Amino acid sequence: MSNPYVPILFLLALGFVFAAGSVFTSLVVGPKRYNRAKSEPYECGIQPSPRAEGGGRVPIKYFLTAMLFIIFDIESVFLYPFAVAFDQLGLFALVEMVMFIITVFVAYAYVWKRGGLEWD
Amino acid sequence: MTSGGEAILFWVLAPMAVAGSLGLVFARKAVHAALGMALTMIVLGVFYLAQGADFLGVIQIFVYTGAVMMLFLFVVMLVGVDSSDSIVETLKGQRAATVVLSLGLGVLLAGALGRVTIGDAPADKVHALNAQNGNVSGVAELIFGRYVWVFEATSALLITAALAAMVLAHRERLGSRPSQRAWSERRIRSGENLAGLPVPGVYARHNAVDTPALLPDGSPSELSVSRVLTARDQVGNATPWVEAEREIERDVSQDRDRDDAAKEDRA
Amino acid sequence: MTAALTALPTAFEAVKVDYAAVGPMLVVVAAALIGVLVEAFAPRLLRHTIQVVLTLTALVVAFVVLVLVSVDHHGVTVGGSIVIDGPALFMQGSLLIFAVLGILTMSERFGGRSADAFTPMGAATPGSPAEAAADRAGYATSEAFPLTMFAVFGMLMFVSANDLITMFVALEVLSLPLYVLTGLARRRRLLSQEASLKYFLLGAFSSAFFLFGAALLYGYAGSSDLSKIASAITTANGDLEGLLLPGVVLTLVGLLFKIGAVPFHSWTPDAYQGAPSPVTGFMAAATKLAAFGAILRLAYVGLEASRLEWRLGVAAIAVLTMVVGAVLSVTQTDIKRLLAYSSVAHAGFILVGVLAFDRTGVSGVMFYLVAYGLATIAAFAIVALVRSGGSEATHLSQWAGLGRKHPVLAGIFALLLLAFAGIPLTSGFTAKFAAFAPAIAHGGLAGVVMVVVGVLASAVTAFVYFRLIVLMYFTEPTGDDVAALTPSIASTIAITVGALGTVILGIVPGPILDLAGRVSQFIQ
Repeated sequence: MSNPYVPILFLLALGFVFAAGSVFTSLVVGPKRYNRAKSEPYECGIQPSPRAEGGGRVPIKYFLTAMLFIIFDIESVFLYPFAVAFDQLGLFALVEMVMFIITVFVAYAYVWKRGGLEWD
Repeated sequence: MTSGGEAILFWVLAPMAVAGSLGLVFARKAVHAALGMALTMIVLGVFYLAQGADFLGVIQIFVYTGAVMMLFLFVVMLVGVDSSDSIVETLKGQRAATVVLSLGLGVLLAGALGRVTIGDAPADKVHALNAQNGNVSGVAELIFGRYVWVFEATSALLITAALAAMVLAHRERLGSRPSQRAWSERRIRSGENLAGLPVPGVYARHNAVDTPALLPDGSPSELSVSRVLTARDQVGNATPWVEAEREIERDVSQDRDRDDAAKEDRA
Repeated sequence: MTAALTALPTAFEAVKVDYAAVGPMLVVVAAALIGVLVEAFAPRLLRHTIQVVLTLTALVVAFVVLVLVSVDHHGVTVGGSIVIDGPALFMQGSLLIFAVLGILTMSERFGGRSADAFTPMGAATPGSPAEAAADRAGYATSEAFPLTMFAVFGMLMFVSANDLITMFVALEVLSLPLYVLTGLARRRRLLSQEASLKYFLLGAFSSAFFLFGAALLYGYAGSSDLSKIASAITTANGDLEGLLLPGVVLTLVGLLFKIGAVPFHSWTPDAYQGAPSPVTGFMAAATKLAAFGAILRLAYVGLEASRLEWRLGVAAIAVLTMVVGAVLSVTQTDIKRLLAYSSVAHAGFILVGVLAFDRTGVSGVMFYLVAYGLATIAAFAIVALVRSGGSEATHLSQWAGLGRKHPVLAGIFALLLLAFAGIPLTSGFTAKFAAFAPAIAHGGLAGVVMVVVGVLASAVTAFVYFRLIVLMYFTEPTGDDVAALTPSIASTIAITVGALGTVILGIVPGPILDLAGRVSQFIQ
């Protein structure tokens, strides 16, 4: 097994142990008083309203946000190898990367100016 | 060949990947299918990492479980979680033909590709490369070297995606949005609801935008609920909340009484 | 296997870019980016004018750069991604001309404030008050122009791609904007959106096929460079032989989809009918040319040595395409669908030329593509003019008697139809001759069979076109108030150039045929 991933495995195990452990501990230690208020999704605050006709479809507006996320996610896919090998790549790659980021930000400027990020 | 650790990893994770992909195909709910896919993708990413393909592994998790999965969930949200495919065939015999043709294509491809044998040489080359420079650096050198034109052209794709999303999904506001000042001026001028509309129902334990507030005489106030909800026929009724609250209060007080009684018993 | 990986240089070297050779592409993509910025920052009412001027200027500049500078810079550049050779330059030049004509037809306003073909707001519910209000307020989808420029960029890259990865990215860059443009028609929005979705879904499948094939070919040759694949085919030791044929078939399927060859044609009628007519014209002409450019390069540079294994299969597809396209065009009642099936049949005719595997085949195919493209853009520009009750009169019965009401327009359309039919003295005849002759000379028995089928299919399509001409001239008009709008100077230029090109290429085809013949040698 490759060495660098052992810490990640440990972290994973740690996360699991913590999650399982805290649930278990609260079972053992916590007071056991049950009433209807305890079994509701939120003990206080807004009650979820019943679902709309047609199965709770969300407005298409969310799609814009999703698309923007994807665009910058893909951009960071290229940033990752660039960041790792930055020292070997030199000026040419820096220029290329900056050009790439600028072109992608043209799209960002367009979406921003045309109100794609506004929510109303 | 595989080391002991890698074999254990494989035998633990491979069934998970298969289970995830089966879930993707057979799950009745779209969200479950999407989660099954996420599981498969993450496991595949771990396999890539285990085989020394760092870049591929990280990108697999990054892109598939990040971007593609999120797009899936958005699509599920857009079409509605509960929606299911219509099973009416618009073209007769289409489904049978699809099954036959795709099986045929699968058999042909499997027959042709199955004859190929690839030894361990490629894997050795990856390890040699990892030992030399690391394959993330290797990929970087290819992206910013040999394939730099393609890399830059990809930005055209990303911009097209943004343009497409805006053109097809963004409704621009016609005219400017009335400011708060404009609203209040309008209210004063019309002389109605000078202090603004009443807020929707707020109860001791619940508040819900779809439930009207109760007027002093106990009747619901129509004005307190958004017009949109009224149009959608989604306005709730205050009575259940009021009753539910009383019940919960009764439960809680009974609970407390019981506790107190228990304490007294112990004492 | 992974020769490309092990051959990495130890120290990173930046690739050399021959900016003169890729200049036209850079101009086009720069204009597209500026176009997006115009959409972001320019006032709404000026956008249309700015976009039209910007795109047309950029296309003309790109063409001038191509003709004056790039022609002297043949060679492989940007590390091997792009090859600028005779066929690439010829097809890039033709693409730029098609793009100019396409933009001219798309910019048609008929006296309104925004482009007539495109919806004022793509996201508004079709037929809703919001859509009408957006129109009144002067909203317009002038994003169509930068989108078209991105598509043109992809096409320029597609015909000059020297490896499968570049080819794939180019395929996507040219396809995505077209999917969007298809869904932006102003009228019959639901049909347009349906067409867009169908085109997108089927296009995504074909891209997947291409990518799968490219991966198999990479596995086979250890490189995605066409020249390396070619040398791997001649020197392969047989270990990986099983990867070659599936790879070839899958990549070809991906490309044949784009030209609309049967059985990968099912998107064509729907997409052509639903898309705004100027977009249909541009897409039919330019996509077909770009896709055939890629097929030519893949077949002649990359896969030629293995052609005996797959040539007959593609020949069968060519025959099928000609027959199905011709026969189904007989049954159509919608003018746009009729032209769509005619374009399917034309794809078959052009494939016959591709399969000749000779330099003359390359020049014949290139000539055919130019002739067909010019006629198609003009034909769809005319379809956009004929209106009934505010929307396009696309049903054939509505075209009855058009020749009496609008003799010039109907005359030009009849000329274009004659060219599609391949009647002598039109570009269609010379083009068919240029594509079929090499197939007979170098194609062997399969070539002869294909040409015979091609001539028969031409006769069938000729019947369809003559029926339409008879309908326009010798049939009483129906009660419908069908009338042709008066085109602005932009569409007039596009229609005139298309019609003139059709006549000139028919009567004096010599110069263009010579040019195509001179530049038909690929750089291996």
